Amino acid sequence: MISGDAAALPGHVLRASLMKMYTATIKKEALETGSRVSYYTRQKLLFILLMTLVSVIPLAGISYFSFSYYKNSWIDKTSAELASLADSRTEIIEQFLASQNNQLQTLVDLNSPEYLGQQANLEKIFNSINRSGVITDLGLIDQSGVHRAYVGPFAQQLADKNYAQADWFLEVIRNGDFTSDIFTGYRGIPHFVIAIADPARDSVLRATVNSDMFNSLLAEAEVGPGGDAYILNRAGELQTPSRLGSPEMPGGDLAAGSPALYHTDDFIYAATSLRNGEWNLVLKEDINSSLAEFYSARNKAIVLIGLAVVLIITVATLLSSSLIDRIKEADQQRRQLNNRMQDVEKMALIGRLASSVSHEINNPLQIIESQAGWIGELLEDEKEGRVGDIGEYQDAVTKIRAHVRRARDITHRLLGFSKTGAEAPTEARINNLVRETVSFLKDDAEDNRIAIVSDLQKDMPLLVTYPSQLQQVFLNIMKNAIDAIGQDGTINIRTRTTSDDGANIEFADTGPGLGEGVQDRIFDSFFTTKQGRNTGLGLSISYNIIQRLGGDIEAKNREQGGSVFTITLPSGIGKNYLE
Amino acid sequence: MDEIRLLLVDDEEDFIRALSERLHMRDLAGQTAFSGEQALEFVSEEEPDVMVLDILMPGMDGMEVLRRVRSMYPQIQVIIHTGHGNDLDEVEAWNLGVFDYLKKPVDIDLLVERIKAAYLNKSE
Repeated sequence: MISGDAAALPGHVLRASLMKMYTATIKKEALETGSRVSYYTRQKLLFILLMTLVSVIPLAGISYFSFSYYKNSWIDKTSAELASLADSRTEIIEQFLASQNNQLQTLVDLNSPEYLGQQANLEKIFNSINRSGVITDLGLIDQSGVHRAYVGPFAQQLADKNYAQADWFLEVIRNGDFTSDIFTGYRGIPHFVIAIADPARDSVLRATVNSDMFNSLLAEAEVGPGGDAYILNRAGELQTPSRLGSPEMPGGDLAAGSPALYHTDDFIYAATSLRNGEWNLVLKEDINSSLAEFYSARNKAIVLIGLAVVLIITVATLLSSSLIDRIKEADQQRRQLNNRMQDVEKMALIGRLASSVSHEINNPLQIIESQAGWIGELLEDEKEGRVGDIGEYQDAVTKIRAHVRRARDITHRLLGFSKTGAEAPTEARINNLVRETVSFLKDDAEDNRIAIVSDLQKDMPLLVTYPSQLQQVFLNIMKNAIDAIGQDGTINIRTRTTSDDGANIEFADTGPGLGEGVQDRIFDSFFTTKQGRNTGLGLSISYNIIQRLGGDIEAKNREQGGSVFTITLPSGIGKNYLE
Repeated sequence: MDEIRLLLVDDEEDFIRALSERLHMRDLAGQTAFSGEQALEFVSEEEPDVMVLDILMPGMDGMEVLRRVRSMYPQIQVIIHTGHGNDLDEVEAWNLGVFDYLKKPVDIDLLVERIKAAYLNKSE
């Protein structure tokens, strides 16, 4: 519409300024579009990142804490089990040692060295105490360190052996009893020696005890795969086999009866002292191999969590894409509406400008035309020959009038251009005009938390009017209402039929209302309460438009505060004009 | 044809004088007024048959004059002759019952023809 009419205008100035306006708009739009694209991309990435973090962090946190909680509680439980196991084994071993010791002590107490020194007596005793096969041999050694009697498999080898200078012999003479470390004998069976001296310290009863039961006792200790159970002497030498072959003594003080617990990253240890600290029983559990099942479950869980994270990222990406797309679309619609509203206002402004310019030109044109006509008529009345070159004058007058007509065509066309939208009054639906105007301003209102509540009567009659002019009025009044409210409020719009089939339109706002003196002057040109922000023309133009449409407009304060603008329109205008 | 009592109202004195002269040459003797107030004063003294009225004038504008004339002297035939092409003026003018609405600049012969037609309209 613009280009068509504007092209027909030779008014270069108007055209140029229109062009300038449009080029400026395009450039600005293009720039904004450029930055908007990256804005949406940034928003999208931010959104994905946030959604991912919000779901992944708790997931990872819960997993980590539950894994480490499980691991720690397993360590605590296993430590307790290990401790009670160590306790029970220690008790059995101590009992075994004590019973062997007591048995020999009883023999020494009840029998004289002379009696025990008899080979036949010793054999009798050996057979009676060795029903379980725990004692390998039994011998009585006299003060000089020589066997007086011996029962056992090594009679040949031990016949001439003298123990007088042996450490264990010296010790048993000194202390009354002795228990050796464990050694592997000739047949590869672990043994230890218990020796008891008689009260006079002139003979020693010596027994070799098979310590195989220690080994089976420790092997029975239900330590897991990679675990170990062994006994060490003070020097750290193994008294029993070690499954792993790398026996070590855990640090820390080991009090008898209360297993010392200790754990490194890989192992848990429980240690007790035996024989008053001569030996130490060590139980060892391998954390990693015991937790192997747990670790494999954990790995499966980690894979599952990884899949969940991938799923979350995918969903977040899809979700934010569709969300951002929707926001983008909404923004675009909003911009389009905004542009349309600006166009409506711009065109109205251009129309008014064009109309006043053509009016100003038409008056002088009329004078030129009539003066030229007057000259023409005077010339006609002149007598032949009184005016030289009369033909030339008449010709000039004709040309002047022709160009006045040409100028008139231009100004009339310019006036035609100023009629925005409908050239003639048309039937209009008031409710549709109201709805469209509301859509222009919806975002503006939402930004300021202003609710627009419409109460539109359904069966409003069709009005014969100028829809675009009327819309201009609605726009002015609603913008005025939004400005008056500022922020947080409501605009109520109500349409009703009047008794004579016209329309009554009410715009009520919850703003501060009309101040004193404002009510009388609100429709005056250039009157504004919004210094610097407004020309003060909007409501005055609205007033004029409504007057011309044959309607009425008034502004009042509401009792409950705020102001209300009421427009009354007749059912039709310009009936003559339409005929 | 009887003598048509004609009133020309326009604030452009040069124009109205020239127009008056030219109409005179066509046997239309017109009175002139240069403002809305003057026009109403004239009408109250001597009611014309036909009134040629400009709209945009300082002081009382043509639309106001038209409203008053139509309500007080409905017999007067009014021809609007204006340089202002506002739709709404035109609509309102038609609603108020003008005989014609002409846009400046108007050819003298057309104006004369419309004045005569208006007079005939009144006589009927």
